[in-house]
Amino acid sequence: MPLSSYESLFFWIFGIAAILAGLLTVMARNAVHSALFLISSLVSVAALFVLSGAEFIAGVQILVYVGGVMVLFLFVIMLVNVGAEEEGREEIFNNQRQVTASLVFCFLLVLGVLYAVNKGSSTLVRQNLSPEAVSEQQAVRNATLNRSATGTSTITKDTEQVGSLLYRYGSLPFEIASVLLLVAIIGSVMLARTLRQEAAVDDVDPEVLNDEALRDPELIRLESASRE
Amino acid sequence: MVNYFFQGLFFFLQEAGPEPSSGIKNAMLEGLKHPDLSKFLVVGALLFIIGVAGVLTRRNIIVIFMSIELILNAANLNFIAMSRYLQHTGNVNALAGQIFTVFVIVVAAAEAAIGLGIVIALYRNKETIWVDEIDLLKW
Repeated sequence: MPLSSYESLFFWIFGIAAILAGLLTVMARNAVHSALFLISSLVSVAALFVLSGAEFIAGVQILVYVGGVMVLFLFVIMLVNVGAEEEGREEIFNNQRQVTASLVFCFLLVLGVLYAVNKGSSTLVRQNLSPEAVSEQQAVRNATLNRSATGTSTITKDTEQVGSLLYRYGSLPFEIASVLLLVAIIGSVMLARTLRQEAAVDDVDPEVLNDEALRDPELIRLESASRE
Repeated sequence: MVNYFFQGLFFFLQEAGPEPSSGIKNAMLEGLKHPDLSKFLVVGALLFIIGVAGVLTRRNIIVIFMSIELILNAANLNFIAMSRYLQHTGNVNALAGQIFTVFVIVVAAAEAAIGLGIVIALYRNKETIWVDEIDLLKW
């Protein structure tokens, strides 16, 4: 169970990198910098996943989070960027009282979590294996795995196992998740429409339309065009 | 309370697995050399708390969303660490944690899409991304 040698070195490097990048995400003045720090935090956590033997999840994390979600974030930051933040004209944190209250809350949370981990770990199954015995076990397990094409490394069975488990026990949640994604796509398209696009499909409250038409006469034409 | 804190701090540097053979310093060194489940949990907890602090203190709604991603990611890290622990104890359902993580990532992606759609709609109507200026429902 415990990591050893190079694994533990990488654990400390990536664990500390994840926490530092997380801190910088919260504290960076520029939202784009925040996004980039969040990306490095996510990549570090993906490395921790690899150390825990979850190679498939690490790949999903990089592809979906870093490749998908964070690109979406960056697009939105570019769309709404106000510039006042990084020029120092706007305060990036809430006012003093709220920040103090939330930091006190977070400190209590730290105490609670450390107490819980401390208490809980004493009830975990103790493994009286020495690190050498663990790495020996690992070597025995690795010997049963397939060799890769170059013969220098072995191919993990993690993806295969996760995939078969997903279809054996998680097929209904899997389908529900796909419906959820469909709803999310349609919902975000609906939410991000402009007033003109809404008027063009006759989807605006008549009162609102009359108010807005004073500013943008094009709206009435679009709406009546959609009726024909 | 203070006692718990020091206990926790001490625990962070201490090996949780086998009993320390000789002295606290040795146990700490052992914990540094062979990080186990508890170290993963502590990293996850710290990421979670940083995310909570970000949600509570920042004014920029996009950074608040990023902090939420950080929180979800900390939960994922806990799932994976526990899954690894269960694999080593020989539990049959050990990989359930990884399955859960896949679903957490799916929900996070859906949440980000919807949330950013709301941000764009809000920015179009109110010309602001500061949460303390979005107070339409406040009286």
